[in-house]
Amino acid sequence: MAGTATTSDGGVVDRVYRVLRAIPTWVLWLIVVIWSLPTLSVFINSFRTRDAQRSRAWWTTTGDELTFDNYQSIFESSATSSLGDSLLNSMAISLPATIIPISIAAFAAYAFAWIDFKGRKGLFIATVSLLAIPLQVALIPLLQLYVGGAHVTLPWIDKTVTLIPDFGLVNTTTAVWLTHTGFAMPFAIFLLHNYISSLPRDVFEAARIDGADHFTIFWRLVLPLSVPVLAAFAIFQFLWTWNDYLIANTMAGTNPDAIPTTILIANLAGDFGMNEHLLPAAAFVQAFVPLVVFFALQRYFVRGILAGSVKG
Amino acid sequence: MGDIAGKIISTLITIVVAVAASGAVWLTANLIVGQARHHWSRFSTLAMGVGGFAFGIVLAGNRALVGTGTIEVETDRNDEVLGWITTGGWFERFIAWVWFPLVAAVAFAVIGAVVGRQTDRRIRIAIGAIGLGAVGAVAGALVREEFRPDIEPVAILLATVIVAGIGAAVSTLRHRDVISGALTGSALGWVIGAWGAPNLGAGSSGWAAVALTVPTAVIGVRIARPGAPDQSALDRLDHKSRAIIFLFPALGFISMNLVIPALRTFYLSLFDRRTENWVGLQNYRTIFSDPKSWDTSEWTNMFSSRLMVIGAALLVVFAILGAVHRRRTGRIVELGSPSSFPLLGAVILIGFAITTTVRGTIVNNIWWVLVVTLFSTTLGLAIAVLADGARFERIAKSIIFMPMAVSLVGASVIWRFMYIARDSAKTQTGVLNSLWVGLGRLSTGEGLPTLIIGLLIIAVFIALVAFTGRALAKGEPARAGAPAVLAILIGWFGWRYWGITGGGVGGFRIRDTGEITAQPINFIQDPPFNNFWLMVVLVWIQTGFAMVILSAAIKAVPAELIEAAKVDGATESQIFWRVVLPQIATTIGVVVTAIVVLVMKVFDIVKVMTNGNFGTEVLANNMFREAFQVGDRGLGAALAMLIFISVVPIMFLNIRRMQREG
Repeated sequence: MAGTATTSDGGVVDRVYRVLRAIPTWVLWLIVVIWSLPTLSVFINSFRTRDAQRSRAWWTTTGDELTFDNYQSIFESSATSSLGDSLLNSMAISLPATIIPISIAAFAAYAFAWIDFKGRKGLFIATVSLLAIPLQVALIPLLQLYVGGAHVTLPWIDKTVTLIPDFGLVNTTTAVWLTHTGFAMPFAIFLLHNYISSLPRDVFEAARIDGADHFTIFWRLVLPLSVPVLAAFAIFQFLWTWNDYLIANTMAGTNPDAIPTTILIANLAGDFGMNEHLLPAAAFVQAFVPLVVFFALQRYFVRGILAGSVKG
Repeated sequence: MGDIAGKIISTLITIVVAVAASGAVWLTANLIVGQARHHWSRFSTLAMGVGGFAFGIVLAGNRALVGTGTIEVETDRNDEVLGWITTGGWFERFIAWVWFPLVAAVAFAVIGAVVGRQTDRRIRIAIGAIGLGAVGAVAGALVREEFRPDIEPVAILLATVIVAGIGAAVSTLRHRDVISGALTGSALGWVIGAWGAPNLGAGSSGWAAVALTVPTAVIGVRIARPGAPDQSALDRLDHKSRAIIFLFPALGFISMNLVIPALRTFYLSLFDRRTENWVGLQNYRTIFSDPKSWDTSEWTNMFSSRLMVIGAALLVVFAILGAVHRRRTGRIVELGSPSSFPLLGAVILIGFAITTTVRGTIVNNIWWVLVVTLFSTTLGLAIAVLADGARFERIAKSIIFMPMAVSLVGASVIWRFMYIARDSAKTQTGVLNSLWVGLGRLSTGEGLPTLIIGLLIIAVFIALVAFTGRALAKGEPARAGAPAVLAILIGWFGWRYWGITGGGVGGFRIRDTGEITAQPINFIQDPPFNNFWLMVVLVWIQTGFAMVILSAAIKAVPAELIEAAKVDGATESQIFWRVVLPQIATTIGVVVTAIVVLVMKVFDIVKVMTNGNFGTEVLANNMFREAFQVGDRGLGAALAMLIFISVVPIMFLNIRRMQREG
């Protein structure tokens, strides 16, 4: 059978030629399959018993191995301490860390786009250039701030002045979303400014002539017109804060009552012990919320990514 | 369940209170400014009230007054100061803290109301000075003993005159009222001279009252002097204060959470582990002299590595193809020219040869940046091109894009299941090892499956050779390149598979007894290539990001350009390399910079999969460990600064781009 292809028969070579021409499509679908394999393996494993996971490969699963026990046990407090609690913590971090930056950044984006003041452009570029700052560079002082407040010791009189008192925020979800709010600012301002500054100028001038002040224009005109970009940023920020591990681990990592799902799963993955068979189920529950958001609102998400990079 | 309900409620309360309180403050600020244009006296009242509250906060917040609570210094086990706490229940502490600001706010507001209404200038100034001075006198009399200053006439006089001069000079330069500037300056100078210079705690309460009365009275004069501004000044005030109000929350968060901490990190990096002793650049020297971050001890091995040999061979191929290409077009290498591919391959392989022999944290970071950026971008571009116009394009793209929604922690867990390596006697449950061991079994075994796969390899090889031959015969050498390379690779694979020179491929090992056993790869623990398997996780995520952006850019290429190229007789690949790629070059730049910035701070994957063990340490994980687990703040800060410095060039690129675009 292998020998036939070498004959000079034009028909066979033509057929081979055509098959090879279709390779790009096959390559695409091969990549798609490879891309979905990891997720699929965890998804299937999450329904398999502990023994099955340890001894047989997931693609040889038989019907009698399937069970919902893993999902049941991760929500029982004994097994993983508290997946339910950590889901709540994730919500307690993600919701304020999404809503608050949107409003604050919308104010600033409006000011940068439509209020004339000296040094506007320089200030805007300075703000947006912070986009690339790695957040590691701020973590140590921020943790110090949450642990003990901010104090300055004046050198020549040797007195300490409290700039920000200690609010006892360390190891709370509040510290985590406050940090997220600050870190989200440059990107949020950049994204919203791109959109708000492209709104038609006539609208604003007409409103000004009618005697509307900046606050009224912002509230009555800009906010309603900017809903698409606000949604895009909201999705972005929600996924980012829900999936964050570094900030939560720094600000609240040592308090079991305040940890979000990512830390719980990382801890579960770290102990390689009795509960490793629960990991797929826990990982899937953790990913469930962002996946729902993602698939339901994919169009806005893509629009946000594009606005944030291509136009830039 | 009651537990959870309680938690939900308390969380909701926190959020609502935080949002409502800050929203109320912001709205109030807008309302106050909104009064300025039409109701000057109302604005004056409200603004003065806010000013009084701020004045009160400065004093009461530092517990400088009698009856504002007492302070205890809180320390940890090592006598390191954690902070200043006040004693008592939260309500008690709140009242102790807030009563004076409230009183001051009301007093200031009353004075503001009178001053705002009064048209006679002299009466206005008298009311301002006496009113604010009285508040200052009361506050000064209340100052706690340990805060009362000593009398130092020379210091007071000097500071007052100097700062007043500065204030006047600044006002002149800004074309503002000189006397106002001098008054503000003299009040400020007095505060510095009276409260800053001498020993606090040595003075009498009478002098403390005087020391606070003088500056408040001067400020009262300063505020009362100008009177209600004219309409154009009011408009300017409206613009300026709106800009401040709209920007303040965002800029406040940015400076508090990013700028000031970043500066402080630099400061901390110059001190030792507890920020006690200045050490200069010692922390940075420690990082660079540590063999863990920069281990060149085995660098000679890179020349004997197989990667280097193949890379060098590819360079030779590049030289030959480049010479041919130069004869035709005058250039050695161009986008998509036959010579560009061996060059790219050689660069990748030699890069791998270097990064697998020179080891260390910093090398790992560089390796991460190169691999993830290169692979995500090229794969994303390839998928964007392949999917463009294909059937079910949206489904394919959704699936590739989906990992973007999964957390890095989740992705690491997911990929751990791909990488599972079990004892060679057991069934492999991870996909990759199962394939690898299965291949080893096939290529060393006998029987029908081995034969079928072997024949299949031969068939594919022959098909590729035929395709190459046909392309050459048709006079299209450009089309012969890819199948020829594939034919060489498959040919080599078949050579090994059939065991022509002692053989087999895949995960197997032949014991001394001649027995063949499985030999899985421990993807996560075998250095140095475990680094690469960790990078794959990030490539899996970032490819979707690159694909979405590049796909949009490709669709935005004007159709006329492509039509024109087709009319001129360009082939598909020529259109891609010569028309599409230059059009989307800026976008590729954006994608690359975004990914580089992301990769420099990669943390989650390394932390979850290896925690930096097995030679996979990267800067961000090292920083986390030093700063928050070992507790060496100086070294942790220095590592954070290194991550920061590595993205500074990209920050500059971004700034330049924004300035160009206006």
